[in-house]
Amino acid sequence: MSRDASASLRYPPYIHDWKTSAKAAWICSITLAPVVAWSIVLYGRSAALVWLVSVASALASEAVASGISRRWTLGDGSAALTGLLIATAMPPGVPLYVPALSAAFAVLVVKAAFGGLGANWMNPALAGIAFAYANWPVAMREYVLPRIVAGVDGVSAATPLTFAKGLAGGLDVRIMDSLRGASYPLSSFDSAVTGFLNDSVFSRLGARLPDGYIDLAIGLKPGALGESALIAVLVGSLVLVGLRLIKPVAPIAMVSVFAILARVLGTGLPGEAFLNGDALFSLGGGSVLLVAFYMAADPVSSPVRRRSALVYGAAIGALCFVFRRWGAYSEGAAYSVLVMNVVTPFIEKSASGMTAARARRRSS
Amino acid sequence: MNAVVVLRETSLSVEPFPVVSVGQEVMEGQLLARSAGPGSTNVHSPIPGIVRRIRATVTPEGYESNSILVSLEGSFSVLGKKPERYLWKSLNKADIAHIVQEKGIVRVSSGEPLSEILSERSSRPGFVLVVNALEMDPYRRTEEELLSIRPEDVIDGCAIAARVARPARIVLAVDARLSPEIEGRLKGIIEASELEMSIMSFSRRHPQDMPRQIAESLEIVDQSALFILEPSTLVALHDAVVANKPHIEQYVYVGGGAIKSPAILKARIGAPIGDLIEECGGLVGRPDAIVLGGPFRGRAVADLDASVTRTTQAVLALTSEETKPAPERPCVRCGDCVAVCPEGLDPYSMLKLLRAGRGEAAIAAGLDRCTSCGACAYACRSRIPLVRDFRAARASEALR
Repeated sequence: MSRDASASLRYPPYIHDWKTSAKAAWICSITLAPVVAWSIVLYGRSAALVWLVSVASALASEAVASGISRRWTLGDGSAALTGLLIATAMPPGVPLYVPALSAAFAVLVVKAAFGGLGANWMNPALAGIAFAYANWPVAMREYVLPRIVAGVDGVSAATPLTFAKGLAGGLDVRIMDSLRGASYPLSSFDSAVTGFLNDSVFSRLGARLPDGYIDLAIGLKPGALGESALIAVLVGSLVLVGLRLIKPVAPIAMVSVFAILARVLGTGLPGEAFLNGDALFSLGGGSVLLVAFYMAADPVSSPVRRRSALVYGAAIGALCFVFRRWGAYSEGAAYSVLVMNVVTPFIEKSASGMTAARARRRSS
Repeated sequence: MNAVVVLRETSLSVEPFPVVSVGQEVMEGQLLARSAGPGSTNVHSPIPGIVRRIRATVTPEGYESNSILVSLEGSFSVLGKKPERYLWKSLNKADIAHIVQEKGIVRVSSGEPLSEILSERSSRPGFVLVVNALEMDPYRRTEEELLSIRPEDVIDGCAIAARVARPARIVLAVDARLSPEIEGRLKGIIEASELEMSIMSFSRRHPQDMPRQIAESLEIVDQSALFILEPSTLVALHDAVVANKPHIEQYVYVGGGAIKSPAILKARIGAPIGDLIEECGGLVGRPDAIVLGGPFRGRAVADLDASVTRTTQAVLALTSEETKPAPERPCVRCGDCVAVCPEGLDPYSMLKLLRAGRGEAAIAAGLDRCTSCGACAYACRSRIPLVRDFRAARASEALR
């Protein structure tokens, strides 16, 4: 009666959670689908090509790395995700060699050369983005108005953040009014939704939402591909947190610290005063939310333990604020995460030292 | 029908000496092997028949043990009969201890001889006897089921154990989702038994049924002040003392996605698990793993010939939807293992130290406190066999 029950003897436990690192990467990629779709609606073919080239280059690079290391790793989904994340930082219409080379650099140099998935000491996507900013500073800052706003393709315009940087701070006009003054278009959708919200909700609270923020949230302004669909980014982040695929500690700490500092001190926008900064504009105007939930929350380059992750996230938020307020470039979120990636081993080491000291005290 | 009786049921127990020879006719419940002293128990024949073979075999856990094959011959004399009922209350502590030893009762959860742990406990008073009916994995509910099918015998068994070991108090640990009806019945039986026993509900969470977790819930600092027995052991104890029955039967849960109709069976020791599966309607499709014991701490078997022992609590045939096999990948530092460890350890760092060849540092980081509960490896997104690696490391560090 010898019936073969199982070909291979494995080890306990014999049941597992549904989550795997590969599934996490693929689901993370899928949550970016609405962002991809919306950017194509906004910018058309030029946006679609950037996404396509970036992902294709990342996958091809991963295949090359697989060939060299003789370990087939395309299935783990991390390369596709890296490609997508690099594209989020690209302006629509950027020359296609920019995403192609950045993705290749991210996968081949930052990830594969350091031992592949799990061994990279920096988030590959962020490193790719920094690579692009460093090599093609002009191309990476040429933005256009969405065609559904401008009516035609390729009307150049500065992003609201860059525009704000160009203005001297301390004017008494708020940033949104300055934008209108500089003839940034306001969509009828924005006025309708803002009007409705003011009438139904904010008026009862004694508050009023100025025009323009809804356009900011739905991407009706010049910006990078991933910045265009703030709502979609938020929904995707909620999905990731809800499925417990990312630990929310670091991104929430980052966003909170950044928002509080922006509110209290202001990020150097016109019309701001102490305790009266425009946190909403600071959060919505750039890629802070995307960077927080899709890059600062990357497990490989962030601390493992919750307490360290809190320190890590808070420090990113503070750095992000410093870069935004006093930095030369309007977009410091990516750089602040990169800086903290490098500091992560130090945070973990000092945290574990503290834990060990506490354990010694307790046992003695 | 044959029975293959494994003489050494755990890697830590001591093998008893066979007292029968090949070709000899044995009765149901007749002594097959006599205890060889501490760590060893009497073993009885689960069926009437003829001893066909005594030889060394390798158990699913991987250690060697002699086993005795008895082929069925003649009729059942003990288990078929209406059980005798002795009034055990007239027995004193020594009488009971003698019966427990004679009948080869073992603690089902650990395989230790019950007579030994009872007498060891009685020499150190002031402990809490915990009747552990908690089953915190998604399968087995045998211990809980015994509370509803044999509540009187469980409480009676508890009273017998209490007479020998003299606990300071008794706690019946049950799942928070136990039906109020059963709980009410148990309360009535406890009241009638005049035992000082309280019922405590535990939320369902793996591995809530382990000593440290129970101690924490009872707000007891020293977990060695707990004496944990499960209903199946108490039922075996009860049957030995009240019905003069040796430990030749075992309640086994047969389940998992690949079993047609999962059930709790009263199985004879030595029965091949294939027979149990057949009794439950057989397999549906091809199982990914056949596991003895729980899904977290059990052991996979290669074929269906493995036999039921006094420590077999469950036979699981798991489909690949349940095992969710995936290739092992590099650690992505997600920290899920750290978050789930019930002992508050840091499996991530321990593995890192082990892979760097720093076994001593891993022990210092808490590897010696790992209970192999499997929570970290269950949660691991990269399917790293943490339990296997930790066990191996503990074993090799212990050798130094």
